[in-house]
Amino acid sequence: MPRNRRPSKQMVLLLEALAARSQHWHHGYELMKETGLKSGTLYPLLMRMTDQGFVEAEWREPSQPGRPARHAYRLTAAGIALARDTAAPQDTLFSLKVSLA
Amino acid sequence: MKAAAARAVMILTTRCLGKTRHQWARAMQIEFEAAAAEGKQLPFAIGCFIAACREIPAHREGRLSLANHVLALGFLVPMAAAQFLYAGSLPYSADVHGMLGPAGTQNPYLAGAQLAAVPSLLFLWFTLGAAHLRLAWVVLERDWSRAFNMSAMIVAGTATLAIYTGVLFLDDARLILHAAAIAVELVAVSAAARWHGISATVLPEELAR
Repeated sequence: MPRNRRPSKQMVLLLEALAARSQHWHHGYELMKETGLKSGTLYPLLMRMTDQGFVEAEWREPSQPGRPARHAYRLTAAGIALARDTAAPQDTLFSLKVSLA
Repeated sequence: MKAAAARAVMILTTRCLGKTRHQWARAMQIEFEAAAAEGKQLPFAIGCFIAACREIPAHREGRLSLANHVLALGFLVPMAAAQFLYAGSLPYSADVHGMLGPAGTQNPYLAGAQLAAVPSLLFLWFTLGAAHLRLAWVVLERDWSRAFNMSAMIVAGTATLAIYTGVLFLDDARLILHAAAIAVELVAVSAAARWHGISATVLPEELAR
């Protein structure tokens, strides 16, 4: 779904965190720590971005045995493009990092 | 204590997120354990609860649940409270004497009959109040067949009350207001049931997405 509105500051933070390692699967609590967002802000953003096709979510087996599977998130191609577009006017270096990732 | 409160908030969160977002509720539950390991379970749980509350109007099931709660707590429970208050104040206030119409005040036999009818009137008002509370409960449970049965009972009770006050020549203007409020209430319950019927067919499609 195309997004015409300018992303919020929190969404930009989340996009940056996800785009920094775009092939890597991120967990919710880890993203909270990376972005400094509270769970009350992070989860609605993740839900919305997943609905809009910018983020894909998957249940991933944990690294430690005996632990339950965790919901993990990473950017889709559309999400990477959005991260690049969002970063471009502000930070060319970040945009370059996203392209490289 | 803090851990128990946090767990209770997480249960509420799961309830608020409903079926359409149950995957997210599970995800939050698992991350809650990670937050608990760092002693941050309560702020995490409160945040998740806020997120769930923000999600309620965003999905059909949440909107339906919100509408049911507004109908039950904002309309049916106050109606029940009004009926209990009215019934409770009936024997002690001047209402009974105020209800006596000109015919009653002129005819001592009729006035006596009217006063003798007060216990039955009280019973009817209390029954209507209890029926409203039960209706609020079944609306929240989305048990629409019982809701329709309760609605029919309320209509029957109101009709009985109207006939009874008419036969006794009681002048109770509040009964007209009450009947009007019940008509609005039944339309609202019927609309909620219809909406639920539509949602029941749409929800599986939403869940499949």
